[in-house]
Amino acid sequence: MIAMNYMASFALIALGIYCIVSKRNLFKICIGSALVDYGVNLLIVSVGFNPGGTAPIFTITELNRASFFVDPIPQALTLTSIVIGACTTAMTLSLIMKIKEQYGTLDSGEIRRLRG
Amino acid sequence: MEFMINFPILAVISLFLGAFVTSLAGRRSETARNAVVLISMATSLILVLCLIKPVLIDGEIITYWLGNWQPVEGWAFGISLQVDALSLFFALIVTVAVFVSGVYSFSYMKHDDSLVNFYTLFLMLSGSVLGLVLSGDLFNIFVMIEIMTFTAVALTAFRNNYEGALEGAFKYLIVGALGSTSVLVGVAMIYSQLHTLNLAQIAALLPSHMNPVTVAAFGFLFVGFGTKAFLFPFQPLAADAHAVAPASISLMISGVLTKCGVYGIVRLCYALYQNMDQPFVQYLVTGVGAVSMFICVTMAFNQHNFKRLLAFHSISQVGYVITVAGMGTMLGLSAGLYHAMNHTIFKGLLFLTAGAVQHATGTLDLDEMGGLSKKMPKTTILFLIGAASISGLPPFNGFASKWMIYQAAFERAADGNIFFLVAAVAALITSVLTLASFIKVAQSVFFGQLPESMKDVKEVDQGMCIPMWIMAALCVITGLFPAQIQQWLLVPAAKAAMNAAAYIDAAMGNGYAAANGIAASSAAAPAFIGSWNPVTWLLLLLSVTIAVCLVAVLGNPNPKTTEVAEETEGDDKFESFFSGEKAVFSQVGGSDLFWGFKHNWRKYFSFMHDWHSGVVNDYALYGAAAIAVVLALCVIFL
Repeated sequence: MIAMNYMASFALIALGIYCIVSKRNLFKICIGSALVDYGVNLLIVSVGFNPGGTAPIFTITELNRASFFVDPIPQALTLTSIVIGACTTAMTLSLIMKIKEQYGTLDSGEIRRLRG
Repeated sequence: MEFMINFPILAVISLFLGAFVTSLAGRRSETARNAVVLISMATSLILVLCLIKPVLIDGEIITYWLGNWQPVEGWAFGISLQVDALSLFFALIVTVAVFVSGVYSFSYMKHDDSLVNFYTLFLMLSGSVLGLVLSGDLFNIFVMIEIMTFTAVALTAFRNNYEGALEGAFKYLIVGALGSTSVLVGVAMIYSQLHTLNLAQIAALLPSHMNPVTVAAFGFLFVGFGTKAFLFPFQPLAADAHAVAPASISLMISGVLTKCGVYGIVRLCYALYQNMDQPFVQYLVTGVGAVSMFICVTMAFNQHNFKRLLAFHSISQVGYVITVAGMGTMLGLSAGLYHAMNHTIFKGLLFLTAGAVQHATGTLDLDEMGGLSKKMPKTTILFLIGAASISGLPPFNGFASKWMIYQAAFERAADGNIFFLVAAVAALITSVLTLASFIKVAQSVFFGQLPESMKDVKEVDQGMCIPMWIMAALCVITGLFPAQIQQWLLVPAAKAAMNAAAYIDAAMGNGYAAANGIAASSAAAPAFIGSWNPVTWLLLLLSVTIAVCLVAVLGNPNPKTTEVAEETEGDDKFESFFSGEKAVFSQVGGSDLFWGFKHNWRKYFSFMHDWHSGVVNDYALYGAAAIAVVLALCVIFL
């Protein structure tokens, strides 16, 4: 079950990288970069998963040695990572907008004034 | 002193708070904005300077637990800031560079609009970099890397009407995000094995938990930090981002952001994994450094854009730092740290002079400029100081650190190790090529003939000159007192980097390292054959000068000038392009210098030119390939 998650996350990362490397359209590159982020989010949240664990919400009186719950830290990390991923996407999209205005194209093969 | 443990967090907060206040108060008046920026930069600089006494001199390690969440039963739950000599060394570099860059921006950027946004982003960038080097938490390092990348991208695209600014920022964002993701995957893998994010606890547990997952995590983290230092194969990003960013941001990217990558790699190899004594890690780090060093200097040879050329040199110098840090010896690491510090100083100076030239002439194209030394004498002198430093001419700082680098390399090569011998030779060749390409810049920008279009160029104002003079003074000071710098800065920092046990104990309580089988480091201060003696060199310089003067005085004061024949008119001999007078004064274009060398290497140069294709897909492919190769190598050899 959990191995499936890991495989899915690495498949997402690989697909995302494939998308960034092979697609010439800037929007598709942006989507690829977002896919990589989703893959990593899935990876982190899977790291903290305990089969059969409950949600990590306890008051101090309920908490004892026998409490069995999923690891809350990776969930916090995933939340941070989702926010950062959203920022990346927003920033990429705004840059793409400006690039389209200036260059008149979305083809990455033509956006190469800086080279050599 | 007890209250000093609050200084690291206050230094970071003052920058972030400054960013916040700037965006609120700065819209009303320009003076208020500049005052807020100056105060927050100065506060963090002073707070970091205050830490020198306890950390560098007394050798304490300051640990600050946010919200006072101390470790419980040997588990670090809280987020910590941990300042040892290595962190403080980089924090000093960062805060000084930030201060100089900020002061320079005040007059350099004054003709741009929406400057409130500029300073907000600038302070956030500074805060994130300082937070990164002071942090004791692996996930915090990732968050700081992300803030750093975003703000750097936004600042690269700040002058978005400038040719290529958006393009450079876009490439930096996409490929930089790949590097950040690589760091995050590494963090997740380490957490899955060790269930902690505290650097000290990771350092304690890692050596006894080496398995394929943690080994893969090493590969991911190494590539991630390598991206932030723009090492091979990420150097095209640096060139694109530097060339289009404002000059003060170029200083930040080359002087400060790359240092984060260097700090990350040093911390990763020396403290976290403590695997710097393994030959594979040494070969990996030194190899990556040597390749970036050599490729970038040859790439710099072909550039026509002043700042793009400087950008490639910047990565070439970072390559030196990584090469020598990978030697794994005390001498090597301290030489690397020395060069890292000097790189920030002289590269900062060079970028600021490039900015001054751009400010005065409006162009960065080497082929359009010439003869500016008559119009901008101060900038010329400052540039020459920077160029002499980066090329490693005594008595400037570049020579002092390169001297140590060669010694560290020869020390390893003397064991008969071919690999380090090649690295040492590459370092020497790179230095020669650096000098050659700075001769080209000096010749095509500051000397030669002044083009008609630049008759009205004026020297830049004091606000821009003062930061440059500060950097130039630092170039000379750090070059003239290598022995003192070794004693007070480099040796404590290198010792702290090597002494993982002390780092662990400071955070987790005494005896934690020993309980996990981490032995205290016994690395002694290196026997310094290293430091050169500036006084003898100055004496040599003085005596040579006197000798030259004597020869000049003793010679004939009225040498026979060759009379030009009367009938010059109409004589083919004196036509331009044939042999005559006019051609003597014609400008040699920047691209024409070293023509023979470039011609002989034309296959290599055209290959490298095609390789830096400017297509973002290609750069992402190089990045993905780098991750794959490093990962495969790590899993096989580690």
